[in-house]
Amino acid sequence: MLFRMIRGVLFHQRGKMLLIAFTIALGASLATAMLNVMWDVGDKVNKELKNYGANITVKPKDSSLLSDIYDVGGEEELNTAYLREDELGKLKTIFWAFNIVDFTPFLDARVTLPDNSTVKINGTWFGHHLDLPTGESLDAGITGMRSWWDIVDGKWLDEKEEGAEREVMAGTLLAQSMGWQVGDTVLLSGSHGTREVTIAGIFDAGGDEDEQLYAPLDLVQELTDRENKVSSIEVSALTTPDNELARRAARNPAALSSRDYETWYCTAYVSAICYQIQEVITGSVASAVRQVAESEGNILDKTQLLMVLITILSLIGSALGISNLVTASIMERSQEIGLLKAIGARDYSITGVVMAQILITALAGFAVGYIMGFGFAQLIGHSVFGSAIEMKARVVPIVAGLIALVTLAGSLPAIRMVLRLRPAEVLHGGR
Amino acid sequence: MANRSTQKHTMTKRKMFLRMITSSLLRRRSRMIIALFSIGIGATILAGLVTIYIDVPRQMGAQFRSYGANVLILPKDGQTLTTKALNESLSSVPPEEIVGSAPYRYVRLDMMTRQQSFTAAGTDFNQIIRTSPYFSVEGSYPASIREILVGKEIAETIGLKTGSSIELTYQPPIREETDEDAAASGDFLSGSAEGFNGALVYVTAAIDDQAKITSIAIDATTQTPQYGGQVMENEDFEAQFIGKSVPLTLGEDVDALTGATITSTAVVTALNQARRTSVPTQPRSVTYTVTGILTTGGEEEGYVFMSLDDMIAITGENKIDVAELSISASADKLSSYVEQIEENSPVAKARLVKRVARSEAAVLSKLQALVFLVTAVVLLLTMICVSTTMMAVVSERRREIGLRKALGASDESIRAEFMGEALFLGLLGGIMGAILGFAFAQVVSVNVFGSSISFQPLLLPAAILVSMAVAAASCLLPIKRAIAIDPALVLKGE
Repeated sequence: MLFRMIRGVLFHQRGKMLLIAFTIALGASLATAMLNVMWDVGDKVNKELKNYGANITVKPKDSSLLSDIYDVGGEEELNTAYLREDELGKLKTIFWAFNIVDFTPFLDARVTLPDNSTVKINGTWFGHHLDLPTGESLDAGITGMRSWWDIVDGKWLDEKEEGAEREVMAGTLLAQSMGWQVGDTVLLSGSHGTREVTIAGIFDAGGDEDEQLYAPLDLVQELTDRENKVSSIEVSALTTPDNELARRAARNPAALSSRDYETWYCTAYVSAICYQIQEVITGSVASAVRQVAESEGNILDKTQLLMVLITILSLIGSALGISNLVTASIMERSQEIGLLKAIGARDYSITGVVMAQILITALAGFAVGYIMGFGFAQLIGHSVFGSAIEMKARVVPIVAGLIALVTLAGSLPAIRMVLRLRPAEVLHGGR
Repeated sequence: MANRSTQKHTMTKRKMFLRMITSSLLRRRSRMIIALFSIGIGATILAGLVTIYIDVPRQMGAQFRSYGANVLILPKDGQTLTTKALNESLSSVPPEEIVGSAPYRYVRLDMMTRQQSFTAAGTDFNQIIRTSPYFSVEGSYPASIREILVGKEIAETIGLKTGSSIELTYQPPIREETDEDAAASGDFLSGSAEGFNGALVYVTAAIDDQAKITSIAIDATTQTPQYGGQVMENEDFEAQFIGKSVPLTLGEDVDALTGATITSTAVVTALNQARRTSVPTQPRSVTYTVTGILTTGGEEEGYVFMSLDDMIAITGENKIDVAELSISASADKLSSYVEQIEENSPVAKARLVKRVARSEAAVLSKLQALVFLVTAVVLLLTMICVSTTMMAVVSERRREIGLRKALGASDESIRAEFMGEALFLGLLGGIMGAILGFAFAQVVSVNVFGSSISFQPLLLPAAILVSMAVAAASCLLPIKRAIAIDPALVLKGE
């Protein structure tokens, strides 16, 4: 009997029940989409912020000061401490390896041009292929870390291409003053050799780099006889915004209690990542580039908070919308409920039947809504960030619980109210 | 007569119409509350999200300023940039969009005792706080003269702490004497004289080829700050010297500064006795107190920072090498400001800091697109929610419609009544929603960005119109259906 009654309503009042299911589906899809976007927006914006370049620099422990402070021309003799190029792969073996987005080494030198002028040449990686001890492989290099460079002419160097080891990229000011074009060959003399190189690209960086040369690391190492040596590494890492613990740890990790230390070490704070880099790169000091790291944290925090508040608003909106409609639909059925009461149905059995009908409708609405919400989330992810939004499993119980709660909150008081009316009055149509 | 009766007739008709609407609203209070509530929610979300969407670029843009300067001001070739010229060049940018402008003058100073030399930057610390909010200072920023901020790397190498003293020496650059140089301006007068209590006052003045003074720098740090020390800060006093040539007479060419007569006399005496040199001064040494250690993770950690006044005092030159500007504006506006500065100023040229400006434009446009899409999706869904509720509320009244039709009401009058009711609800809900929505946007803005949101006056009518339109549109279908049905059937309850 109960099932027949439930089925009866579901089929005979199909239109009304569809309307409710539709509204619940909309609410559920809104909640699903917003919650998923909210939880993924941090990662997405974090990746976008990689536009600003490296947020960690790694330098040799002893000589980090010398080259910066002494503005000496032939600094090669002064700059005695180096990092080892063969250790760079270890960056991808640290605890937070997955968060290291990109990295590139630098080795600078001054080279003499045929007209006896000297320019600064920076050796670095350009899409350098790296096989890791873990069996994975990746391409790392400067290309992704200088998103603001404009390639005025030519193209980015790519080490995987034929002949790239004899190519360089020149800054636009340098190229202008020397009258270089893409494809020209130039003779570079370093302290330990001379190489003829081809200009592969001319870039506009809007800074000091415009008066410098960028070349594959190997070339600069050969020119100055510094095999396997690197003077600094830039690392771009996804980080968690600093909090009080991270700031304490940055000052002195040793002063933390073992529990705090563990929390800190296992959170992607920029100071924790720096610390782990120092552990794997011999004789290195890794420090956060505050300009990038600090601002990143700031903007991430704000974006996430903004999304949380918008999500809360839309959740409240859809919750109120659903419970409102459920209330309206029950009151609409006051006649039917009055009739049931008049022919002797008990209050609890009426409540049971109506609730069962509505919950079944809600379940159908939720299922459709979750799929729709998935679609909306992906629509937002693809059109804004160009990548899929990761669907979090915890969203399912949250949205299901929310829908159940909202449906109950919308229907129970309404049923009570209708039941309290006298059947005769309801059937008469007064009220 | 006839006229009056028709007037009366229309009057009563209108009255009746109003009464029907109000009584229907009152009688069916609970249902109407539900409908109103639903429209109110829709309008709240509309007003709240759209306000946030409109204000996000401005608010988020301000957050992005923590990345530091996005425009550099440099002297044009062969020109000298001064603080005054810098401020003049900024007139093309609306003051409310300038977050900060920090001047920098870089020189190398030697620490004789340790045979080391550092890059020192003269700047304005009040502006640095704004242009480079990522500077992290252990201790405090220098507040008065002869106080400096030291980069972490320097502090670690020579063991400086907050409160330590350090003596730095300025070695004036050695000029190669050529015929061209001799003809060009660039000679200096530099000298000293006894001021108050016999302490020395140093004066350095640059002169042009007609021996007229073009700029002057006074170091009176030995004098009592509130009396003689004033001559260093008083621009009017310094301005009196410009364009004159020595010997000067106090009281005729130059007026003494009130409360600083002895020091003023010393300045004039020092100039009159000054040697004419092609180098600004003899090496000068000054002892500074370290007030803070600077951490940035960048090359600034290898610098020493001091105030521009201190920099002028030790080098004897009043000029700046570069100024960092932090402007809160869109990418297009930034480029136009850069062009305007370059056009309007005779001495300054402007350059975009591509790394900051470009990246900001990229990230900000994504964020704005995100908020836009989210707003669009939420609004669409909410509006559908509102109309389904309205539909349910109206179709519930089919019996009433049938009854009224049976009593002889015309389709038009029924439709007009329902539409009137819907529009009224839309109006009320729209006003409610616009107010609540703005309150919500305000809460978001204060919590997220710590500043209040700007109210969009157009949003109030927009929210009302949209609510009314949605309410009316969602009534159309159920009314049409109710009217189409045979009254007898509806009344029977089928």
